[in-house]
Amino acid sequence: MNLLIHDPGPQTTVQDLGRRGSLRVGIPPSGPMDREAFLLANRLVGNADDAAALECTLIGPRIEFADTRWVAVTGAAMPVTLDGATMPRWAAFEVEPGKVLRLGPAASGVRAYLAVAGGVDTPLVLGSRSTYLRGQLGGHLGRALRKGDVLPLGAASGGAPAQVLGQFIPDYTGAPIARVVPGPQDDRFTAGGLGALFDAPYEMTTQTDRMGARLRGARIEHVRGHDIISDGVAWGGIQVVGDGQPIVLLADRQSTGGYTKIGTVCSFDIGRLCQVKPGQRVSFKQVTVAEAHDLLRAHRGLLDQAIHWEEAP
Amino acid sequence: MGIYAEPRFLPCGDQALSVELGDDINREVNARVLALEYLIQQRRLGGVTETVPSYRSLLVYYDPLTVGWDQLTRSLHALWRDAQPEILPPARTVEMPCCYEGELGFELEAAAAKLGLAPDEVVQLHSGADYYVYFVGFTPGLPYMTGMPERIFIPRLEQPRLKTPPGSVSIGGIQCCIYSVESPGGFWVLGRTPLRLYDPTAADPILLRAGDHVRFTAVGRHEYDAIAAAVADGTYTPRIETPRASSARRGGA
Repeated sequence: MNLLIHDPGPQTTVQDLGRRGSLRVGIPPSGPMDREAFLLANRLVGNADDAAALECTLIGPRIEFADTRWVAVTGAAMPVTLDGATMPRWAAFEVEPGKVLRLGPAASGVRAYLAVAGGVDTPLVLGSRSTYLRGQLGGHLGRALRKGDVLPLGAASGGAPAQVLGQFIPDYTGAPIARVVPGPQDDRFTAGGLGALFDAPYEMTTQTDRMGARLRGARIEHVRGHDIISDGVAWGGIQVVGDGQPIVLLADRQSTGGYTKIGTVCSFDIGRLCQVKPGQRVSFKQVTVAEAHDLLRAHRGLLDQAIHWEEAP
Repeated sequence: MGIYAEPRFLPCGDQALSVELGDDINREVNARVLALEYLIQQRRLGGVTETVPSYRSLLVYYDPLTVGWDQLTRSLHALWRDAQPEILPPARTVEMPCCYEGELGFELEAAAAKLGLAPDEVVQLHSGADYYVYFVGFTPGLPYMTGMPERIFIPRLEQPRLKTPPGSVSIGGIQCCIYSVESPGGFWVLGRTPLRLYDPTAADPILLRAGDHVRFTAVGRHEYDAIAAAVADGTYTPRIETPRASSARRGGA
């Protein structure tokens, strides 16, 4: 059984939790930009966390299914309709064959996730179904979806009404705080440069994609220049180039780079950062590694309590 | 300069750390980096999810809910003591056909003029050397190499070009690199290899590995085209030698 794309929207891709083990040859993990929203979509429809779903950017797709499927839409606030009737977001519901599911333009946030019970069953490439657009690898033919594409779906074992509890649904209209562990090259910045990053918010620019988010704000001052001997670039790494402006490196990042990295955005705040629209702002807050690990544990715990099932799944 | 007396553990967020072993680009430091990565794989170090070697450091991704900072850095420190170049498996040597002619080597003449050499001399010097791959990265499959004779060390382009064709064999500073996908570039393009350093349609999309040796063989345009056609058909097998494999062949003969 499968799904049919009537209209893909500007950039809809197949993503699972990402590719592991190929960064060492320069292939990024890819996977969802907002992992939390992605995981909740999968869990709402009873999928494993690593099932493949669709990541929709700014404007969602129009889709039809060949058989009855439970689906859920999370992430960016794209209005969801089924043959024109409004459907809930952050909740599981059933779609019958022949009806057209539509995700409209995002009122807030950037990326929405559409999970389908059974998961999108495109071929595994290097152990993952995630699409790496620049490398034309994985997903559906290594590219964003197009009108007329037909994607295979995995076998679904039914579904049940479920929703994400209100207090766990993020508000994408405000300016989030992203926690940052300084390093690996925080010693290559002046005290004033480090202070600048944490003192005032930075604005998201339009030069932002799945590879990285370029921000604009107070200049971050280097000591001894911005070049380093190229080294590995972590997920969430904040690279500061010659103009003193930060670039946060994301799911499709380069594996290595030759610019100083002042700090790294913590994994649990990267998803929310990826929902910041150009023109919106984000603040950075300094934490230690130990604090980050405590925050991660608390974050995972909360994620496990976010869904209310109306009956046992 | 060179190898640190003790490794530096640098935090890279909540799920990664960088193990930095030295402060410059040299083969000895890099061999220690590759040996450390090899030991992590061999001993299946708990909690480590992925590793990324580079010139003088190893980026280690880990699951902090499985292993904490203190335990992980202790384990890595213990492995670092054993991470000597001798433990690495024998290095492969990959033969890389390269056409230095015409449009494929579109900056050969300019580079030669800059170096005060004849283009033929640059080709001889470049193709006569043994190159070492420190690591592969930035874009999929791109090797970071040194090995050039000093006479063709050259400053990078003052104005980087916006697009470089994949397969372009190029030099800058003391380094040689081969662009693996179309990308901007600041190195001088001397020629092009018909081999694919990154082929997303292949079961194993990446040709070169950290620790490999590369030798360029100058080929004419006709041979370049023939190899490129065979690569496109999937009928070309790159020539890759490992000391172990070659001795096994001798033993069996």
